[in-house]
Amino acid sequence: MLIALPPWVPMVISGFVVLNVVIGLVTYITLLERKFAARMQSRIGPYRVGPHGLLQPIADALKLMMKEDIVPTAADRRIYNLAPIVFLIPCMLIFATIPFAPGLGVADLNIGILFFLAVSSMEIVGLFMAGWGSNNKYALLSAMRAVNQIISYDLPFIFSALVPVLLTGSLKLGDIAAVQQGSLFNWFIFYPVIGQLAFITFVVATLAAENRVPFDILEAESELVAGFRVEYSGMKFALIQLGEYAHMIGSSFLGALLFLGAWSGPGPEALGPVWFLLKMIFMFLVVTWIRWSFVRIRVDQILALSWKALLPATLALLVSTAVVVVWRTGGF
Amino acid sequence: MASNGLSRAQSGTGIITITGAVLRAMGATLKNLFRKPITVHYPDKPRQYPSRYRGLLALTYDKETGEENCIGCRLCEYVCPPAVIKVEMLKAEKRNYAKTFSLELYACEFCELCVQVCPTDAIIMMKSFDLSTSDRRELLLDKDRLHAIGLQHEPSWATGNLLRDMQTPPKAPAPAHAKPAAAAPATTETTA
Amino acid sequence: MLDQNTTTRVEMDWSGPERLQMNMGPQHPSAHGVFRAIVTLEGETVVAVDAVIGYLHRCHEKLSETLTYAQYPSIASKTDYVAAMTSEFAYVMAAEEIGKFEVPKRAQYLRVIVAELQRIASHLLWLGTWCMDMGGALGGGATIFLYCIRERELILDLFEALVGARLLYGFFQVGGTRYDIPDGWAQKCRETIAVIESRVDEYEQMLEDNAFFLARARGVGVVSRELAQDVGIAGPLLRGSGIDYDLRRNAPYSSYQDFDFTVPTEKDGDCYARYKVRMQEFRQAVAIIRQALDKLPAGPISSRPALKSVAQIRIPKGEAYARVEGPRGEVGSYIISDGSAKPYRMKWRGASFSNLAILPHIIPGHKVADVVAIMGSVDPVFGEVDR
Repeated sequence: MLIALPPWVPMVISGFVVLNVVIGLVTYITLLERKFAARMQSRIGPYRVGPHGLLQPIADALKLMMKEDIVPTAADRRIYNLAPIVFLIPCMLIFATIPFAPGLGVADLNIGILFFLAVSSMEIVGLFMAGWGSNNKYALLSAMRAVNQIISYDLPFIFSALVPVLLTGSLKLGDIAAVQQGSLFNWFIFYPVIGQLAFITFVVATLAAENRVPFDILEAESELVAGFRVEYSGMKFALIQLGEYAHMIGSSFLGALLFLGAWSGPGPEALGPVWFLLKMIFMFLVVTWIRWSFVRIRVDQILALSWKALLPATLALLVSTAVVVVWRTGGF
Repeated sequence: MASNGLSRAQSGTGIITITGAVLRAMGATLKNLFRKPITVHYPDKPRQYPSRYRGLLALTYDKETGEENCIGCRLCEYVCPPAVIKVEMLKAEKRNYAKTFSLELYACEFCELCVQVCPTDAIIMMKSFDLSTSDRRELLLDKDRLHAIGLQHEPSWATGNLLRDMQTPPKAPAPAHAKPAAAAPATTETTA
Repeated sequence: MLDQNTTTRVEMDWSGPERLQMNMGPQHPSAHGVFRAIVTLEGETVVAVDAVIGYLHRCHEKLSETLTYAQYPSIASKTDYVAAMTSEFAYVMAAEEIGKFEVPKRAQYLRVIVAELQRIASHLLWLGTWCMDMGGALGGGATIFLYCIRERELILDLFEALVGARLLYGFFQVGGTRYDIPDGWAQKCRETIAVIESRVDEYEQMLEDNAFFLARARGVGVVSRELAQDVGIAGPLLRGSGIDYDLRRNAPYSSYQDFDFTVPTEKDGDCYARYKVRMQEFRQAVAIIRQALDKLPAGPISSRPALKSVAQIRIPKGEAYARVEGPRGEVGSYIISDGSAKPYRMKWRGASFSNLAILPHIIPGHKVADVVAIMGSVDPVFGEVDR
């Protein structure tokens, strides 16, 4: 480089690029979901705006930007206005640690996965702020349920994400991805028994952490209308939607990285990020497929499922992974 | 407990049933993913309307003489449940006419009772409902508009005489003004 | 009759600490129409339900005093608009009972065919909206909803070929029916109900073993046998609680006695039992339609002359109450005639109106999420409730 750049400049630039790419991805992932869900329901999704609906997300974004921003008179203004931002920031921050190709990431921290899991569960703060600040019984009820649910499902989420960590021996996301390179069967999803079980529990925990059906008691349109977002309109609503889908994509990227081998795939090295993207879309579609196939279950049943079934199962899985790792490295 | 149906998940066999059920439900949606959607691309592609479709209302002319069929008898006005038809009779030497005939389509129930009672098959329904406007006043159809609709769209099968013959089939040979089709109404229409 | 010693009084428990009164208001994605339920919550548990109705009141009973017997059947379909055929059926039967008009055999069979087709269509809508309430408009519920609507479209196509309209028909007339079946309709009807039978099997497969569905429907909203008899409900709500009462068999009308069918009954009284009752009713309705199509006699479709003028149908003085087994229960019509062309007084017994009375008894004690599941399994249509 002709000019000596301070070390934080490349990071800022890459962060900026990643943020923009994520926002673009979020908008088109919504279109993908709508089309996919429509086909599963014997109908066509967005079709008229642009060829085959390709301009639909842009139309939606424009509409949300131009909408009137209605603030309820009795709402707690500061909390109400801050909540979408507090909700959005952790959802964007998780992309900092994901490496999109070997060496291509914003910050491949040594504690990458810990950072991811910790920051992603901070969205609950923004969520509760939104529910409280709206001064609305529906929003409050939904925020209470949200706290319940996300706290209950964070532990199984962490434990199932820790299984690949144990199998790799490092918290660094770049290392976990690197271990899965080479052949198809290096992918952790193909690890006998443990890999598949961990993948299934990861998907279930992701569904719950994302408030997706069958765990979407949080929004439950037929009961609570829109849950914690019921009083938001216009750009604030857009920010909340952005945060939700960004979190969804982030978790899909994490799942693809932890279990599906990140950028491994046939073809030249440069094709790596493309494979990563495709795997992320696959994870997202699996979650969407489940979402559109089931009715939701009640909040006490969700909590029962988590504490009585999923948490013991993931704990047992983690312990057995540890035993297997020690046994394979000849520790016994 | 009866209220927590998830207690079945605790047992081993419960897990297998649940997994089977989950996979079956997901399989059903996956199967539909690959079926052709049943959407009809209206308005790019027209929908097939059955022959008895109750669409827009229209006034008709006589096929042979070109005269208006309506004799202003006001039977349709009296039978209409929401009373949307208003007719004024014009007396003339050979037969009567309708001086004004207005139909408020925005309040019409499309019940076909007016078609049923009309003695001269003057008012009929069309196989199309395509008259959306952004101004409701355009749906207050006057006589000219009604005649124009009758010429623009395809008429549906039902006319007053055909409907009445369906309810009490004529014992005598079909009267002169009803076409030969009236004697065997089923053959002129398809079920499509 | 309600007396001082009745045991099924409802205690409205509004006061107390930690109680939150929430309005599941008339505009709500899951109210089956315009219905307001003021629920008092303690945490997530419902403690009291106060049902407020009347948002869809359109003065049908007064309207019927201004319309003649020839005009009103087209309007009668608007009470229970989801099952329009059975609504018209009750009114027309009451008028025929006062006037002692004979309905020809062919018309009776056509009425049976159409009523059973309507039952299938109504239950398809019930299944779709119930799953949608439980699963969300953005979720698995919507998927089942769209499948059910796809099947319901097939039946609406049949009605369109028969009558010309898809939702509100005007098919019935005092003395018989207004339309006869066109050529090829019987064949198309047979094909349609064969398709629906196989699809209903598919839905059962998708839902029966589904742990999520069972968790939402088993043990929820239990209506005990005594409560069912006390409150005066009817239809699948009653038969799901173990009481074997169906007007088509207990008080047969319109030659239902000619057909061979069973009346499904379940003992548990919860949402799952009512679900099973309605799924079985699909199959029984298909059986009835097949028998009716096979045995359809030739003949006139009306015993009165064809409708030529508005005041043509005159009924002698008298009064009668006629009832039919609609998809939701007993739909009844009570007419007092004074000898003119218009009724003196007409009263509707709406099936959903009586069924809604069960809500304050069975909802308290459940969670908020169960409120929609229970309401869905009660299956109210507010056209009938408010008339």
